[in-house]
Formats: sequence, structure tokens, C-alpha cells
Amino acid sequence: MASNGTKNGSRPVKTVRAPKQPRLQSLRQAAMLANAVDKAASRLSAASAEQATQQEQARVTIEDVFSKLEETAAAVQDLVRSQRAVSDSTTLLQDGAEGSTATLQELAASITSVKKDSALLATFSDATATTLEEVARSIKGVSANAEDLAAASEQLLGSVSGTASNLAEMTLRVSSKAASVEQLGGTTEEMARSVARLATDTEAVGERLVSVASSMGKIEKTLGSLATGANELATSVEQNSTTTDLLARSIGAVAEHAKQLESSVIDSAAMVTQVAASVEEVAATAEKHAATVHAAASSIEQVAHSAEAIARGAEQIAALAAGSAASATELEGTARQLAKMGENTKSVSLAVNEAAREGAATVGKSITGLGKIRATMADSALVMKEMGNRAEEIGDIVLTINLIADRTNLLSLNASIEAARAGEHGRGFAVVAEEIRALSDRAATASADIGKIIRGLQSTARKAISAAAEGSKVADEGATLAADAERAMSAILKGVEDVGQTAREMSRATEEQVVANQYLAQSISKVSEQSRTIAVGANEQTLAAKTLAQGSVEMRLLAKQTSIAAAEQAKSMRNIVKANAQLKGGVEQVSRACQEQAVGASGLAKAVTEMRAVTLYMSGALADQSREASLINAQTRELTSATQRTIVGLSEQAKGAVEVGKAVEDFRTRTAQMAKALQEQADGGKQLEAASRLVSRLAEQVTLATGVQAVATAGLAQTAEDVRRLAKQTSRALEEQAATVAATAANVARQTLNLGSTARATTEQAAASEEILRSVDEMRRRARAAVTSATHEKTRAGAMADDARQLAAQSSESSSTARAALEAAVGDGGVSAKPLF
Amino acid sequence: MTELARYDAAPAALEVQTPAVLYVIFRVGNAEYALAADSIFQMESFTGATAVPGAPSFVIGIVHLRGRIVPIVDLRLRFGLVPGPTVLENRIVVGLCRERLVGLLVDSGREVLKIAPTQFQAPPKILEDQTGGFIKAVAQVGTRVIMLVDFAKLIGEESLDGV
Repeated sequence: MASNGTKNGSRPVKTVRAPKQPRLQSLRQAAMLANAVDKAASRLSAASAEQATQQEQARVTIEDVFSKLEETAAAVQDLVRSQRAVSDSTTLLQDGAEGSTATLQELAASITSVKKDSALLATFSDATATTLEEVARSIKGVSANAEDLAAASEQLLGSVSGTASNLAEMTLRVSSKAASVEQLGGTTEEMARSVARLATDTEAVGERLVSVASSMGKIEKTLGSLATGANELATSVEQNSTTTDLLARSIGAVAEHAKQLESSVIDSAAMVTQVAASVEEVAATAEKHAATVHAAASSIEQVAHSAEAIARGAEQIAALAAGSAASATELEGTARQLAKMGENTKSVSLAVNEAAREGAATVGKSITGLGKIRATMADSALVMKEMGNRAEEIGDIVLTINLIADRTNLLSLNASIEAARAGEHGRGFAVVAEEIRALSDRAATASADIGKIIRGLQSTARKAISAAAEGSKVADEGATLAADAERAMSAILKGVEDVGQTAREMSRATEEQVVANQYLAQSISKVSEQSRTIAVGANEQTLAAKTLAQGSVEMRLLAKQTSIAAAEQAKSMRNIVKANAQLKGGVEQVSRACQEQAVGASGLAKAVTEMRAVTLYMSGALADQSREASLINAQTRELTSATQRTIVGLSEQAKGAVEVGKAVEDFRTRTAQMAKALQEQADGGKQLEAASRLVSRLAEQVTLATGVQAVATAGLAQTAEDVRRLAKQTSRALEEQAATVAATAANVARQTLNLGSTARATTEQAAASEEILRSVDEMRRRARAAVTSATHEKTRAGAMADDARQLAAQSSESSSTARAALEAAVGDGGVSAKPLF
Repeated sequence: MTELARYDAAPAALEVQTPAVLYVIFRVGNAEYALAADSIFQMESFTGATAVPGAPSFVIGIVHLRGRIVPIVDLRLRFGLVPGPTVLENRIVVGLCRERLVGLLVDSGREVLKIAPTQFQAPPKILEDQTGGFIKAVAQVGTRVIMLVDFAKLIGEESLDGV
């Protein structure tokens, strides 16, 4: 700064003029000197400052060293303390190890006793397992029986359904017969009424079918939503599975870490840990044991209950089957009656057929007779005409007779007149004339009578002719009617043959039904037998289960004892572990927890996978069910439409009700009886069907129960197996534990030895450490002196630096003064433009 | 006339000797009439007459009878009745009048009866005047009422004279 100021101030000096040269010369010298002084002062000041800094640094370094030393000392002191503590701990540990050795020996003894208990338990478990296997076999047998029963029930149901359908077919045939009878010439009102009743029934059936269809639709819908729900469940399970897998992996990783951590733990601690773990395991196993045995006991009790329930169910089934058998027998009886009725119907229809044939023959004869009548009528007409002609002829003759009579009368009159004229001579003549006149009068009267008769005859003949014509017409009409009757008769014949055919078919169907009913009775007796077998098996099972329960109680006792012993062991072992290594315990705990967690997680994952599979299967099954439900729905709809068609057909049938001939009436009565019997039979079939459904359901329940039992027994067997395995494991673990305990005892002894030497070494280390401490103290003292001198030096350097700074200020001042003088001089005499520097 | 007069007088004359005289009974319409048998020439059956132009209305024609032409007087027309159908019973009562034969067509004439003159009664006066004198007497025979007719008046003596 000072130099710069000097440079700036020197610029006007360049214009200094020559005439003042001597004075300028001196001024220049003075300025130069002042500058030199300024420079020197500056340099001095800088050097002083540097020195001060250096001094400060040195001081700081020393203080640092000092503090380090302090720290070192403290550390060493700590070390010493720690070593002392270690020594103490080691000593303590030695004591503890000795104690541990004693405890271990105790533990070995305890383990031996536990081993014995475990062996006993294993034996019991074996026995239990064997019994359970027997039970399982028995249950399997029962299950097989129940399945047979279910199959038999299904068969029975099928038979009943077949019978029902047979009955329905027969009812249909009866209906068709009714239709035939209608075609035959009309149905009676009773028939119509029965058909109407049938129609109403069918309508009711239709309604029921409609409601079934709607129910099926609802079921289908529900199944669909269920399937959707199952799918959703599957999805969520899938997600759960994924999450669980992730968790398992994470836990596995943690477990891995924990394992690594655990493996890094020192050997002796590991051994103790192993022992501890083993004991814990034994304890846990014993607890599990107890729990398993408890569970097994309750399972066995459940099995016993279930077996009792099965026995009850089987007895119920047997009772039902007995009822069904009675129903079937009744049904068979009804069917036989029906068959007889069918036979009757057949014979009646045959008789009807015969009667119809006879009727047809009669009608044929009538036709022939009518033809003859017609011919005869024609002949009669001819004869009448002939007779009329003859009558005419007779009339002519009568006329002639009249004429003759008239003439005779005339003659006699004239004779009388002549006789009168002749007087007395003509008297005899007059008498003759009078007689002739009388004769002629009689002849005239007779001829008049004859004429009258002839006229009557003629009118009669004419009437006869017209009557004959009418008769001929009537005969023609009769012939036409007879032909119609013949046609109708042939139709009747055909109808009667149809009816006969139907009756034959019905008879055949009824016979089939009888066979089916026999088969049904067989099935029912089979069901009864099966259910009895099941009851016996279930009772045996119950006995076995009770025995098992007793055994399991003993086992429970043993398990409890073992558990208690193991718990005690664990307690003593835990003490050891606590004394030995808290860290290790924690790590081990973490590891164990992690492993268990891992196992549990993998188990969970497996379970979830299974669950997923099960859910998927369920979803599939539900979908299948839904499909089946829709199929059933469709079938039901078809059935409904068919029923409606049937209803329509039946109502159409019911509409027509006209007269039936006597033979058909008899037939109709039979048919009505048969329909009634059929209805009764159908009712019986329905009851039977309901009973079989109940049996089927019971059988299903029994199957289900046995399935559950089988599963429970399998679980039990598994449990027994687990128990056996656990017992063996426990035994093995106990052996290992014993060996480990022995090794641990030896190890602990060795450790104790090691600990002794460690203690010695630690003591030596402590001595050496104290030596080090002393020398460190010395070093500290020296350092403190160095610090003091350095502080002095620093003070001095500071003073020097102050001086230097003072000098630099002064020189700067003088330099500026010199520059001012030089400027003034240049302003006076025109200093040359040449710069000074 | 004389013949008829003889017949007329006869019943009174024969009353003691022959109590009954033979009459020819004939029927016209619903009534029976009588003529004395001895005044009748003969009875004939009627088979139709040949009409004669210019003849009186009751003369329906002429017939050929035993070689003689006889005019026929229809009594139905003469009695003012409608002409009846030609039937087998129709008779022609042929009588003599002034030596000429005249036939009377009647519905029928089948018998001769003997009737005593006491059975005859004179017709009621009013009938005698109104019927132109055709009925001379009325006889009761059983339940039958028989009218005795005047042949000359029936044949229309004056008219016939004119022919």
C-alpha cells in the first residue's frame, strides 16, 4: 500500500525541470531511503508475525500431546481397572464354572431319569400308535361300510326314482289310455274328473317345478357368487402366500444373519448354549408332548363321541331301512294288485273287443237285413202295383157287371110293363120279371159293393205302394246309418285294440315294477345290513377309543412328569446360561426365535399354499357345482315345460267328456280303480323316496362323520407318530445332552484351568500396565515443562512483533512525508516527466 | 089324352076290382115320380141324343129307337134343374102321346110299384098353380113320397102340336 501510494505520487515528478536539479537530487535520495526503510520495516513485521504464529503452533502441539497423554493415562487406568475387573470376573467365572460343573453333574443325573421317562413314554406311544392304527383300520372299515351304505342308498334312491318314474310312466300310460278311451267314443265324467284331478296335481307339480327352478336359479346365483367369493379368496390367499413367502424369505435371511452371528460366538459359550438349547428343546418338546397328548386325548374322546354318533346314525338308518322295507313290501303288494288289475283290464278289454266284434257282426247283419228289407219293399211295391192293376181290371169287370145288371133291370122293367099291359095273361111273366129285377138289383148292389171294395183296395194298394217307397227310402237311410255304424264299430274295434295294447303294455310295465320293487326291497335290506355292520363297527370303535382314552390319560401323566422335570432342568440350565453369556443368550434367543419363526413361516407358507390349492379346488368345485346347478336348472325348466305341455294335453283331454258304451264303462271303472291304486302307489313311492332320501342323507352324514373321524384318526395317528418321534428325539437329545453335558463339564474344567492362566496373565498385564502408567506420568511432566517454556517464547515473540509493527508504522509515515516533499518540489520547478522508479 | 084320361079314370073305376095299379117309378134330382105302367111304351137306356136345331130348350134331341125316331125331353131341364151328367143309370121313359112316341130323360128308373088309388092325394093348390100342372097327385108309400106326373103336360102338348 505504501509502495503504491509512492508510485502514484511520483507521477507528477516526471515533469520536474532541469533548473532545480540539485535539490531534487537530495529529495530523491531521501525518498529512496525512506522507501528502503519502509520495506525493511515491513519485512520485519512479517517475520515477527510468522514467528508468533509458529510459537502458537508449537504451543498448541504440545498441549495436544499433553492432552493425548492425559487420555492415554486415563485409558491405561481404565485398562488397569478393566483388567482388574476381568481378573475378578475370571475368578468369579472360575467359581461359577466349578458351580456349573456340579450343576451339570446334577443335570446329567436328571437327564438320565428323564431319559428313562422318555423311553417309557415312547413305549406307551408305540402302544397308543398301534391301537390308533387299529382304530384307524376299524374306522376305514366303517368308512368303507358307510361308503357301501351310501352307494346302496344311492342305488336305493335310484331304484325308488326308477319306481317313481315307472309310476309316472304308468300314470302317463293310464292317461294315454284315457285318451284312447276318449277317441273310442268319449270319456266318462268320472274319467274326466280324474284327469282334471291329475291335471291339477300335475299343475301343482308344475308349480313346484317352477319354484324348484327358481330355487335352482337362486342356488346357481349363490354358487356363482360363492365361486366369485372363492376366487376372491384364492386371490387374497395368493397375495397372502406371496407376502408370507416374502416374510419367510426375510425371516430366513434374518435367521441366516442370526446363525452367522451365532457361529461367531466363542466355542465354550456355544457349547453351553447348545446344552441350554437342548434343554430348552427338551422342555419345549415335553410341553409339546403334553399338549399333543392332551390333544390326542381330546381327539380320542371326539372319536369316541363320533363313533357313538355313527352308531346312533346307523341304528336310525337301520330303523328307517326297516320302515322302508315295510313300505317296499307294501309297494310290492300294491304293484301286484295293480298287476292283477292290469290283467283284469286286459281281460275286460278282451271282452270289450269281443263285444265290439260281435257288435260289428250284428251291424253287418243289420246291414244285410236292411238290404233284404229294401229288396222286399221294392218287391212289395211291385206286387201292390200289380194288385192295383188287377183291381182296375176288376173295376172294369164290375162296370161290366153293373152294365149287365142295369140292362137286366131295364129288361125286367120292360117285361113288367109288358106284363102289366098283357093284363091277366102277363101275371106269371110279371112275377118272373119281378124276380129278374130283384136279381139284377142284387147283382147291382153286389157289384156296387165290389166296386166299393175295389176302390178301397186300390187306395190301399196306392197307400201300400207309397208306404213301400217310403219303406225303401227308410231302408236306404237305415243302410246308410248301418254303414256309418259299421264304420264307427270298426273305429271302436281299433280303439278297443289300442286300449288292449295299452293294457298289455301296462301289464308289462307293472310286472317290471314288481321286479323293480323286489330289487328295491333287496337294496333296502342291503342298506339295513350295512347300517347294522356300521353300528357294530362303530360300537367296537367306541370301545377302542375308550381304551385309548384311558391309555392317553396315563400318557398325559407321564408327559406332565417329564415336562416338570424338563422344566426344572431348564431352570437350572437357564441359571448357568445367565451366568455365562448374556449376549450369547440373546443371540441364541434371537436365532432360535428366528428359526422358529422361519419354520413357522415356511409352515405357514405351506399351509397357505395348501389353502390356496384347496381354495382353487373349492373354486373349481363350486364352478362345477354352479355348472351342474345350471344344468339342473335347465333340466328343471325342460321338465317344467314338459309338465306344462302335459297339463295342456291333460286339460284338452279333460275337456272332452261324452258317453261311452257299457263295455267301456266297465273298463273305465277298472281304469279309475287302477288310477286310484296307482295314485296310492305313487304316494307310497313318494314316501319311500322321502325315506330313502333321509337314509341317503343319514348315510352321507355317516360317511361324512366317518370321513371326519378318519381324518381325526389320521391326525391322531400322526400325533401318535409325532409323540413317538418326539419321544425318540427327546431320548436322542437327552443322550446328546448327556454327552454334551459331559463334554461341557470337561470343557468347563479346561476353561477353569484356562481361566486360571488367564487370571495370571491378566495380573501380569496389570503390572505392566502400571509400569506404563508411571512412564506416562513422567512424560506428562516433561511435556508440561516444555509447554511452559514455549509459552515464554511465545510472549517474547509477541513483544518483538509489536516492536516490528511500530517500526513499520513509523517508516511508512516517513515514506509518505518524503513523497509529499517530492510532490511539492515537482510542482515548484517542473520536475522531469521521468519516473523515479 | 084319351089314354091318359083312361088311366086317370081307371083308379076310380078299378077301385073295387083292382085295388092297386102298377106304376113305373123314376127319379129326377132328389124326388121320385111315378107314371102308370100301362101308359109307358118301354124303358130305354140313354147313350146320347142327336140335337135337333130349332127344337124347344127342354128337347135335347132325337134318338133312334127300334126303327123309330123319338124326341127326348130332359125332365131336369123341364123341371128347371141344372142338367146332370150322363151316367149308366139314366133312363129314357118312352110313352105314347097322340100315337107318337116321346122319350123322357130321367136320372134313373129301376122299379115298378103297385099303388092303390087311395094312397094318392091331390097336390096342394098352390103347387098345382105354380108348377104348371105337371103333378097330378102325391102318394105316400112307406116313408117315400112319390109324385104322379101328367105325361101330356110334361111333353108340352101345345109345343109338340106346333111341331
